Amino acid sequence: MSSSSSSGGFFAGARDIAPLAFGVAVYGLAFGLLAAQAGFTPLQIGVMGLVVYAGSSQIIATQQWMAGAGLLASVLAGLALNLRILLMTASIRDLFAGQPLWKTAFGAHMTADENWALLLAARARGREVGYAYLVGGGLTQTACWCASTVLGVVFAKVIPEPKALGMDFAFTAAFIAIARSLWRGRPDLLPWLVSVAVVFGGVKLAGAPSHWMLALGGLVGAAVAGARRDG
Amino acid sequence: MLIAALALGTFAIRFGGARLGQAIPAHGPVARALNALPGCLIVALVATSMLSGGWREWTAGAVALAAAVVTRNVPATMACGIATIWTLRHAF
Repeated sequence: MSSSSSSGGFFAGARDIAPLAFGVAVYGLAFGLLAAQAGFTPLQIGVMGLVVYAGSSQIIATQQWMAGAGLLASVLAGLALNLRILLMTASIRDLFAGQPLWKTAFGAHMTADENWALLLAARARGREVGYAYLVGGGLTQTACWCASTVLGVVFAKVIPEPKALGMDFAFTAAFIAIARSLWRGRPDLLPWLVSVAVVFGGVKLAGAPSHWMLALGGLVGAAVAGARRDG
Repeated sequence: MLIAALALGTFAIRFGGARLGQAIPAHGPVARALNALPGCLIVALVATSMLSGGWREWTAGAVALAAAVVTRNVPATMACGIATIWTLRHAF
């Protein structure tokens, strides 16, 4: 792990995530606002960001909690949303191969949608990035997430709605760009179409929750690629 | 309690995935599927976020895709997408 564990990988990860971390901070403020309404203190929210570090699940769990869903239902709603991370950490297994247990545990905890996708996009362009790149992006984003959620609780009264700024679209656009750089050519077409079809079919026709269909769509698409001989 | 339970469960998912990945063989259909998984997950992620969108979101998505194809750059694509959605929401 000579080149990938150098500090260059760490700082490259931190630099590449900067525009996405800005979007994360906008969401952090909005979540802080919600958390303040739910009665959380700034300290609780700061700790929550640090130990959970999965924004969308924190939002869902807090919403359910506020709606009186109870502890178990709130936690399960948040965890269901995080099941995709199991597939994400499994898909970057080469980063964790031969690492001591604590580095695997830390790297896994630092894995989020944004730095995971950026790592893969950087690799698709032939850059040699690895564990340090993932952790560099992850730590930068954790810092932005925790700081912005705490500020959101503190300044709950003066924060604008992200949707009014168009910031809700920031991540969709980022993931479209990342999908573009992951495109390896024709063999990807069928698995990707299957993934999208499973999501649309499941949600629109069967009325299934979209976070389940996300994981299922990814799995079915990957299974199609695995079943073919030219993958 | 809510925070602790959510933290423990989320960590178990992340760590479980990392361990599971080590247990999967390096070649064959399962390895091919795992190689294809990231791209499939990303397009599924984009699909779920487009589902709830109307024509403004789909237009902005198309603009973002065009920007992604041309620039191959994440910040530039984000800027185009956000500018488009902001303009459409305020103009129509």
